[in-house]
Amino acid sequence: MLLDAVHMEFSPRYHHTADMLLDEQMIIEAAKQNPEHFGPLYDKYYKQIFGYVYQRMDDKDTAFDLTAQVFLKALTNIEKYEYKGVPFASWLYRIAHSEVMQLFRNNSKLRTVNADISDLRNICEEVEEEYMEQYKGILMTVIKDLPEDELQLIELRFFEKRAFKEIAEILNLTETNAKVKLYRILERVKKTLTKTSK
Amino acid sequence: MGTKFNLDRKPVTDEEINSRKDFGELVNKFKKQSIEKARSDVNFLKNKKATYSAIIAGVAVVCTVTYFAVFKKEPPKETANDKIVTTQQQHTTSPENKQNKAFIAPPISKLNVPYTSYKVKSEHGATIKHKSNSKIIIPKKAFVDKQGQDIVGEVEIKYREFHNQADIIASGIPMTYDSAGVQSHFESAGMIDIKGYQNGEPVFINPKKQITVEFSSEHTADRYNMYELDTVAKNWTYLSRDNSLKNKKQSIASQPAKQKEIEKTDSPKAQELQKQIDAIPPKIEAEKTTYTQKVNQLPKHTEPNKPTKAIAGRPQFQLEVNYKEFPELQAFKNAVFEVGTENKNYNSKLADITWSSAEVSEGPQKGKNYLLTLKLRERVEKLIVYPALTGADYDKALKSYESKFADYKNLAAKREADEKRLKEEFEEKQTALFEERKKLKEEQVQANIKYWKEQQAKLDEEYSSMGNQEKVVRIFNISRFNIYNSDCPKSLPNDAKINPIYVLNNGASRIIPSNIYLISHSRNLVYNLPYGQLPYNTNEKYSLCVLSKGKLYLCNKETFTTITAAKQNKIPLTELDANVNDAADLKKAMGI
Repeated sequence: MLLDAVHMEFSPRYHHTADMLLDEQMIIEAAKQNPEHFGPLYDKYYKQIFGYVYQRMDDKDTAFDLTAQVFLKALTNIEKYEYKGVPFASWLYRIAHSEVMQLFRNNSKLRTVNADISDLRNICEEVEEEYMEQYKGILMTVIKDLPEDELQLIELRFFEKRAFKEIAEILNLTETNAKVKLYRILERVKKTLTKTSK
Repeated sequence: MGTKFNLDRKPVTDEEINSRKDFGELVNKFKKQSIEKARSDVNFLKNKKATYSAIIAGVAVVCTVTYFAVFKKEPPKETANDKIVTTQQQHTTSPENKQNKAFIAPPISKLNVPYTSYKVKSEHGATIKHKSNSKIIIPKKAFVDKQGQDIVGEVEIKYREFHNQADIIASGIPMTYDSAGVQSHFESAGMIDIKGYQNGEPVFINPKKQITVEFSSEHTADRYNMYELDTVAKNWTYLSRDNSLKNKKQSIASQPAKQKEIEKTDSPKAQELQKQIDAIPPKIEAEKTTYTQKVNQLPKHTEPNKPTKAIAGRPQFQLEVNYKEFPELQAFKNAVFEVGTENKNYNSKLADITWSSAEVSEGPQKGKNYLLTLKLRERVEKLIVYPALTGADYDKALKSYESKFADYKNLAAKREADEKRLKEEFEEKQTALFEERKKLKEEQVQANIKYWKEQQAKLDEEYSSMGNQEKVVRIFNISRFNIYNSDCPKSLPNDAKINPIYVLNNGASRIIPSNIYLISHSRNLVYNLPYGQLPYNTNEKYSLCVLSKGKLYLCNKETFTTITAAKQNKIPLTELDANVNDAADLKKAMGI
């Protein structure tokens, strides 16, 4: 099965030990009392959130501005945050996702897709097709023309190398739903590639 | 046109990402947003007041709730303490003290540095000696009341000093300094807090007078400035460079002057050696005298005169000579005396005169020629004459001469050898004495250097053992009662940072501190930090003092060093012992 066969490495940034989650929770509680205690969370997640935002656009300054906006929203709403299985990082990503989507709704030209050639190879491996140079253009076209929700799944999974659990939390899906959706997208990609190779 | 697809885009560097991070800006935006939100809520309520007066009471309750919900994170009025420049490390607010926090907030009241009270008769003035050896010099009529009228009678002076990191923490006096938006932390050479009261009412310092505090500082470096605490602006005000140490060094310790004094004095050993040195020139003189005497004692030998053969045709005189008087003429027995060609007065007629007397005396060339004085009545003729021999007399005389000359030569050579030996002996002794003198002089220099070093060490020891009052006195000239310090602004450490987790009981529980005091053990400096990243310099020693829920916790410097060296972030804390009752106890507990 396609998705079970995934052997690419995923970023460990999401993985928290129980201790780390507890420490983070204490900082969140302190930050709820005083915004200046939000500092450690800002330091910890700034690069990740910026990475998420900048992954989806070309303009660096806009990405930095939007990152600042994400943290301001987080700080403003931190009192609403309660740990109910969704880690704080995912909560921040949801804010980032929402802000990014809002920006693209206002100006769709800002939206870009950014990937490495190795990411395209990973997609080929995932759909059990040997990567060929001619696939590069096909994959780029197929991916950039995907509807936004499907593009998000490809980006999160293959370009940002996130675990399904995290993807599900960011996109507010169940993990199974995320897997199924991605599987369907990959099947379509596979068909396109197979058709081309013939 | 579809979405743009970038392949292998250049990543953004960590440096660039970090350069755009600005937590201070975020917090400021948040505060501004909260204030605006609260104002808009209030305006909304005001606008609707007339229309909805019936429900105003209910709305007011909601408004109050809204207001506190927004403002409980921050007082609405901006203060110097709220200024956030670059990082979150530069703030000192906390969950515990965020509301109505006093600018000077001692963390634990029982540890606070107490005031000492002194009574002074305003009309007399006084010089108060504090327990630290500091002096408070109060001139006559130094106090006025709030109307500016001279105060008569007893005034109570309340005074306290802050010398070390424990005093600083215990006092709760902010030690951050904001200069044109750049925030620093004070390294302290000492701080004073002075107040004046009469009958419980504050008094003021007469504008025409000054109170001088000669503060006994434990910190001898000369790099501090004078500051006064402005509790309204909530910042320190720069007053002047602290030059009092420089003056004090010159006037009291006066080390360079003392050093010169030491260097002027020869050591006792050097003085003894000088006597030996002084004795050497006379010794050289004595040796010289001995040498001269010995040379003089050597037998003197006169070179025999070589007989001269008479030259035919030259005018001659035959004279009777007293050989006892002219022994050298012994060899010229039967000699004739030839008239020398230098006698311009000679003419042949002189030989024809029968002179009444003829006397021979020494000539201009002793032993070679003679002066013949011829007299006839009044006439006197003087001729230089040379003895000469003729025939067999000459041969005999020549033979005798040759024998005597050979003897003479031997004796002369012997004398010369003796003279040379004596000279060499003298020169050897003279050189030895010069060497001895040189050696003594070197010994003298060494003895003096050793002596001066010993003296300097004694002086240094004496200087070190002096009381603080004598070591460093910092002069505070005070025109109003307030808090003053002699401090030096320092930046936050920036070699490394950790994201600390503060744990108790071997990690069994965690705490969120409201105040974090990073205590430098390399300088008299406490960084008062908010909860967040903890900066440090790798080459410096620190300990930590943490305030949480009214309790102080410590992490000693050994533990802190171990943790930072291992790049761990769990900081084990120990609750401050209940027996710690004052700042002095705190100092001990902190290992300062």
